[in-house]
Amino acid sequence: MSEAVATAEQIHGHDDHPAHLQHHFVTSDQQFEASKMGMWLFLITEILLFSGMFVAYTVYRVWHPEVFQGVSSLLDWRLGGLNTIVLLASSFTVAMSIHFAQKNNQKGLVINLVITLLCACIFLVVKYFEYTGKFSHGIFPGIAYHPHGDYAVYDIPYAGQFFSIYYIMTGIHGFHVLVGIGVFIWITIRAIKGDFTSAYYTPVELTGLYWHLVDIIWIFLFPLLYLI
Amino acid sequence: MSATQTVGTESGRSVSAPVNYLNHDKSIKGWLYTVDHKRIGLMYLATVSIAFLVAGLLALAVRTELFSQGRTIMDADTYNQFFSLHGIMMVFLFIIPSIPAALGNFVMPIQIGAKDVAFPRLNLASYYIFVIGGVLAVTGILVGQIDTGWTFYTPYSSRLGAPVLFLTSAVFIAGFSSILTGLNFIVTIHKMRAPGLTWNRLPLFVWSIYATSIVQVLATPVIGITMVLLFMEKALQIGIFDPALGGDPVLFQHFFWFYSHPAVYIMILPAFGIISDLIGTFSRHEVQGYKFVALSSVAIAFLGFLVWGHHMFVSGQSVVSSIIFSLLTYLIGIPTGVKVLNWVGTMYKGSISLQTPMLYALSFLILFTIGGLTGVMLGVLSVDVHLHDTYFVVAHFHYVMMGGTVIAALGGLHYWWPKMTGKMYNETNGRIAAVLIFIGFNVTFFTQFIMGSKGMPRRYYDYLPEFEIYHMISTIGSFLLAIGLFMAAGGLIASFWRGKKATSNPWKSLTLEWTHTTSPPDPHNFHHTPIVTRGPYDYHLAPEIFGEPGGDGAVVSAQPDTDPVQQ
Amino acid sequence: MAHDSHSGHHIVSQRVLITVFASLVALTVLTVITAQFVDIGVLNLPLALSIAGLKAMLVVTFFMALKYDNPMNSLILGIGVICVTVFLVFTLFDTAFRGDMPNVDSQTISDTEGRNLNQEAREAREESAGAQH
Ligand SMILES: [Cu+2]
Repeated sequence: MSEAVATAEQIHGHDDHPAHLQHHFVTSDQQFEASKMGMWLFLITEILLFSGMFVAYTVYRVWHPEVFQGVSSLLDWRLGGLNTIVLLASSFTVAMSIHFAQKNNQKGLVINLVITLLCACIFLVVKYFEYTGKFSHGIFPGIAYHPHGDYAVYDIPYAGQFFSIYYIMTGIHGFHVLVGIGVFIWITIRAIKGDFTSAYYTPVELTGLYWHLVDIIWIFLFPLLYLI
Repeated sequence: MSATQTVGTESGRSVSAPVNYLNHDKSIKGWLYTVDHKRIGLMYLATVSIAFLVAGLLALAVRTELFSQGRTIMDADTYNQFFSLHGIMMVFLFIIPSIPAALGNFVMPIQIGAKDVAFPRLNLASYYIFVIGGVLAVTGILVGQIDTGWTFYTPYSSRLGAPVLFLTSAVFIAGFSSILTGLNFIVTIHKMRAPGLTWNRLPLFVWSIYATSIVQVLATPVIGITMVLLFMEKALQIGIFDPALGGDPVLFQHFFWFYSHPAVYIMILPAFGIISDLIGTFSRHEVQGYKFVALSSVAIAFLGFLVWGHHMFVSGQSVVSSIIFSLLTYLIGIPTGVKVLNWVGTMYKGSISLQTPMLYALSFLILFTIGGLTGVMLGVLSVDVHLHDTYFVVAHFHYVMMGGTVIAALGGLHYWWPKMTGKMYNETNGRIAAVLIFIGFNVTFFTQFIMGSKGMPRRYYDYLPEFEIYHMISTIGSFLLAIGLFMAAGGLIASFWRGKKATSNPWKSLTLEWTHTTSPPDPHNFHHTPIVTRGPYDYHLAPEIFGEPGGDGAVVSAQPDTDPVQQ
Repeated sequence: MAHDSHSGHHIVSQRVLITVFASLVALTVLTVITAQFVDIGVLNLPLALSIAGLKAMLVVTFFMALKYDNPMNSLILGIGVICVTVFLVFTLFDTAFRGDMPNVDSQTISDTEGRNLNQEAREAREESAGAQH
C-alpha cells in the first residue's frame, strides 16, 4: 500500500512542468491517477445514490410481485431495447474516443465524441416519446396514476408504486444523461480545439468513466422495469 | 488561484514579517476565491461556529422551557420547532462538517506533507455548496414550522407543508458537500503523501479522517436519495413512504438510518483521531498499539454500515432483523474498546502534562466511555424496548456527540489554534473553561440518564411532577455548560489581540504541521517538501529531534535547507 | 503500487472494444428473447439479472478498463458494490419477514366481540400468500 508518490519532487524542478500540471502535484502521472481515483470514488457515490431506488424497487416487488410483473408489460420493451442498444453504442464510441486520444488520432477522437453525443440525444428523444405516450394514457407516478381507455384494467393497487419508481429511476437516470450531454459538448469543443493528446486526455477519460456508469445503470433498469 | 500562487513567491523575502497564509493576500477576494485548504478550513470553522452558536442557543431555550412544568417561556408548537431546529442544525450544519471540513481541511494536508488537497477547487466548491445548503435550511426555517425532529420520519414529514421541501433540499445539498470533501480527502491521503510518509507513519488524525471520508463517500448518497424520495412523496405523493398511499413508513426509517447511523461515525471518528494526537503529544509517549488504533477506525467505518436497524427496534421491523442488528451492534464495542484501552495505556506509560487540550482529551475519555457503554446498553434488544424514546437515549447521544465530538473538537481547536492563528490563548482561562464545560455537561446530561431510566419520554413539552427536579438540575447544568463554552470561545478570540506570538511548535509535537512549518504556515505549507524518516509519535527520539531541552522544537530552523531545486 | 504508475495509460485495442460491444448487443438480444418470448418460469428473474450482471462486468472490465487499471480502483468499486448489497439484504431482513413476532400470534388479542384478531390476520396472510402461487 505504500506508494511513495511524491518522491519525484527531488528530481523535477518547477521549470519542466507541462501546462496542464497543477502546482500541487509533482508529476502528470500523479495528477492523472489522483483524478481517476477521485472519479471512481464519485462513481460509487452514484451507485449508492441509485441503490436507494433499487432497494425500494426490490422491497415493493417482493411485496407485490404479481402487480409488478403485470404492469411492467405496459412499458414497451421495443423502445427500452432500442435505448439499450443506443446507450451501449455510445459507451462503445466513448471507449473508442479514449482509444484514439491515446493514439493521438485527433479525427477519430472527435468523430467518436460526436457519435456519443448523438446517441445520448437519441436516448432522450426516445425517452420523451415513451413518457408522453404514458402520460396520454393517464399513467402518472403515485397518486396521480389513473390509467384510462384500454389501460383501465391496470388501475390496480400498487401499480402506482411501480410507476413512481419507474419515473423516479428513469427520471434521475435521464438527468444523468442530460448532464452527460452537457459535459460531452464541452469535451468535444475542447477536442476540436486540439486540447487533448496522448500526454493529456484526463477529461475524456473521466467523462468516459461517468458515461459508462450511466450505461451500467441502464443495463440494470432495462430488464427490471421492461422485461420481468 | 493566481493570487495564492504568485504572492507567495514574489514577496516572500522582501517583507519584514514572514509571509504566511494569513497575511499574503488580505483582500476579501483573496479569501472568497481561495483554493488554499487552510483558508477554506478557517471559512468552514467560522461557518460551523455560527451554526453551533445558533443551535446551541436553541438548546438553551429548550432547556429553559423545560425548567418547570407547563409553560415556562414558550408554547408547545414553538418548543417542537426549537428542538427540531436544534437537532437539524447541530447534526447537518455543525457536527458533520465540524472536525473533518474545518480542522481536517486545515491540518490533514499539512500532516501528510502536501502542498494542498488533491482537488483544491473542488474543495472550495464543496464549501460553497455547504453554504447554499445552510442558506436553504435557514430559508426553510423562516418560511414556516418544522417540528419533525431531525429524523424527518414519514408520514408526518411528508404531509407537512413547504418548509419540509426546503429542508430536504438543504440536507441533500449539504450532503453533496460532505461527499465531495470525503472524496477529496481520500484521494489526498492516497496520492499526496510526502516521501517516506508510509501508511504506518501517518498521524492517527489522518487515519481517522481517512476512515471518516470512507463513510462520507459511501453513506451520504443514500441520505441524498432518501431526501429526493421524501421530496417526491411530498410533491407528487408517490406512495413509497406514506401508508395512506400504500407506502411503508418503516422503509423510510431504513433509508434514513442507513445513512444516519454511519453518520454518527462521521461525527465521532475524527474525534478519535484528535484524541489520539492529543494523548500522544501530552503524554510524551508513542501511542500504544498504533496499528490497532489506526485500523480500528477503518473497522468502525465498515462495521457502522451493518447496524442501522438498532434505531428501529420498536418500529415494527421484523424480529429477525432486530436480532441481527442487535448482535452486530455489540461488535462495534470491540474496536472502540481497543481505542480506549490504548489511550489509557499510552497515558499510563507516558508523562502527562495537563495543558488545556489535554484536559479536553481527559474529559473526552470519561464522557465518551460513558456514552459508548450506554450505547451498548441501548443495543440490547430487550433493554432498548424500555429505554427507546426516553431521555436515556437523549443523554446517550449527547454523551457521544457532545461529550465525544464537541469536546474533542474543542481540544483540537485549542491544540491547533497557535498553528492556525500564530497566537497563544490564555492558558488559565482555557483550563477553567475546560473544567467548567466538563462539570456543566455532566450536570446537564447525567441527570437525563436518570430521568430517562425512570421513564421520562424525549421531545415532550410537558412532564409529570416527579421529573421536575431532574429537569431543573439539567437546565442549570446547561447554563453552566454555556458559560464554559463562551469562556472558551472568548479566550480563543481574545488571543487575537492579547495573545503571545506562538512559536512554530509550542507543544513540542512530532507531526509535520508542528515540526516542518511555521505558525501560521506558509501559503504553500512548506518551503520544501518534507522527507519523513520516522513515526508520528516517536517521542523517545525527542531529544535528538528537538536538540537541547527548552528549544522551541522547530525543525524548520534547526535543519538547514538542503533542497536546492525548490523555488 | 508505485511500480505500475503508468497503468492508467494502457491502450485497449480496437479489436477488444468491438468484440465487447458485439457481445453486449448479443446479450441484450438474448435477454429480450428469454424474457419476452421464451417463458422459463421462476428462472426468468435470475436469468435476466445474471445477463445484466454479465453485461455490467464487460463494461467495467473493458470499456472502463479496470482490468488494466490500478487495483485500488477495482477495490473502490468492490466496496461500493458490497455496500449496496448490505443495504439491500439488510433491508430485506426486515421487509421480507415483516410481522414475524412469534409470541404475538400465539397469544390472543381480542376485540370486543371476542374474535382472535391475530389469528384472523395470520389466516388472511397465509391465504394471500397461497394465492400468489
Ligand atoms: Cu446508530
